Amino acid sequence: MTRFLLRRLLLAVPTLLGVSAVVFATVALVPGDPVTAFLGPGAPADARAALAERIGLDRPLPVRYLDWLGHALSGDLGTSTSAQRPVADLLLPALGQTLTLTGAAFALVLAGGTALGTLGALRPRGWSGRLTGAASTLAVSAPQYSVALLLTAVFAVHWRLLPASGTHDAFGAGGTGDLLRHLVLPATAAALVPLGLTAKVHRAALSTVLASDLADGLRARGLGRAAVLRHCAHNASPALLTIGGLQLAYLLEGVVFVETLFAWPGLGRLLYDALTARDLPLVQGGVLLVATAFVGVNLLVDAAHAAIDPRVRS
Amino acid sequence: MDTTRARRPSATALAATAALLPVLLALAAPLLAPADPDAGRLADRLLDPGTPGHLLGTDGQGRDLLSRLLWAARPSLTAGLLPVACAALAGALVGITAALAGRATEQALLRTLDVLYAFPGVLLAIAVATLLTPGLGATVLALTVVLTPAVARVAFTETRRIRTAEFLEAATVSGATRTTLILRQVLPVVAPVVLVYAGSLVGLAIVYAAGLSFLGLGVPPPTPEWGAMLDELRPALFTHPWLAATPALVILAVSVAFNALGETLRGRLAEGAETTR
Repeated sequence: MTRFLLRRLLLAVPTLLGVSAVVFATVALVPGDPVTAFLGPGAPADARAALAERIGLDRPLPVRYLDWLGHALSGDLGTSTSAQRPVADLLLPALGQTLTLTGAAFALVLAGGTALGTLGALRPRGWSGRLTGAASTLAVSAPQYSVALLLTAVFAVHWRLLPASGTHDAFGAGGTGDLLRHLVLPATAAALVPLGLTAKVHRAALSTVLASDLADGLRARGLGRAAVLRHCAHNASPALLTIGGLQLAYLLEGVVFVETLFAWPGLGRLLYDALTARDLPLVQGGVLLVATAFVGVNLLVDAAHAAIDPRVRS
Repeated sequence: MDTTRARRPSATALAATAALLPVLLALAAPLLAPADPDAGRLADRLLDPGTPGHLLGTDGQGRDLLSRLLWAARPSLTAGLLPVACAALAGALVGITAALAGRATEQALLRTLDVLYAFPGVLLAIAVATLLTPGLGATVLALTVVLTPAVARVAFTETRRIRTAEFLEAATVSGATRTTLILRQVLPVVAPVVLVYAGSLVGLAIVYAAGLSFLGLGVPPPTPEWGAMLDELRPALFTHPWLAATPALVILAVSVAFNALGETLRGRLAEGAETTR
């Protein structure tokens, strides 16, 4: 187990290096010369050279990359041009907010996906099977921004049932209840696509197990339907784990839209604001953080997979 | 068994019709659009759906929403369909090459794909699109980069599966060159799988493309585009919720249609594979 984990960790290193190189390149290669942008087009040549030397632009690209990587590894991601503050100081509080939102959405994905998938697997050809299948397809096809806008229109504006922006009421008592109320719409909007995918995968996995000799054996030994389902669900769980982990990573990308539309002060909203302001260091830092988290989540999923299924380790 | 066989073609036909509808509407936009999509009267701004003369209402600049939605179908669908076509080509090329080339090439290609895979799709698209001038070209290129790794992986797996098959050995023994081998023996097997898989990505690509426009990285205004329209109507969300939700509903419907088509096609391919194996 330890060897397996070490190998996976080692494999993640080149991937992360590649990710950082791509992120660095997106800013280094961006059209437009920062020196001209700073000094204006008519600046004298010696002033241009002095500035280029001071911000390190006169050095070759690989050297600049290594320098940037060194700083990034020590937590220094540069200074945001729009907020005039260190990028890391902006990213960290936003990360906390994003984890709250993704956590809530992930709970919905697991609960809804398992329920929908199980219903579908039990009677695949019956009306409940067809209905849950169609519901999964609909959920998978629902873009987060569409769902966010429709939910806001219906539940926040038309019926005025739920709040559609921020994390707490401005003049309310606050607290967990208030946070939960504010979480309902954004978490649902973020959860639908992964929920549909999870339902599809769980349905397929559970159907296979339910049609296998294992299920026949259990039924032959006189176990009730609930007991058979419990055993089969256990055997179908690796698929659920794999897809669940992937969906956790997917949730991290969907938050760009959901947080923007629900004014949720997380990474996604920060990234949107950074894009609008063409704040490249902040875009770079945000993308790097989310991509690293993405690789980390995938690593955790592999580890969990290996823990419950010994065959994976070899 | 007979009932499902009779049912399947109609499901595919239904999905195909649903997916074809927006394409036809996009082509017929000049004939169908009741008004100029870019001309608006400020006196007519934010009219609700159902107003006489403006079936779906008007936007914040008084432009007819139905006309804009119809015209927007052109860049919006192009931005979804073109990257999928490019990714199918590039992915097939990379996947087949990786599967048939030597170990060094294979590892280099697969590791590069891993790096691209490590990015969440939307973020990679954002990263690539920020490099370019906002526009249709930027969206197409960004989405091609995002979609290619997945297609390449499918092409790689499929080529690997048949690499040691007897018909390939037979062709090699009978003196087929590498090019003939790929074009005559490998492609006919790999192409349908790649095409169906790529086809199932169209819905996703349309959603991504509109998302990029929503973020301001797609077609610049005033060109109507579904994602950009979402952003334009967003300020009206709390006063005119149904107006603001209309483009969202259109994207959702188109995405459902293309995903349903992709799903039925994949189902048919899997069914065909079961009967031939």
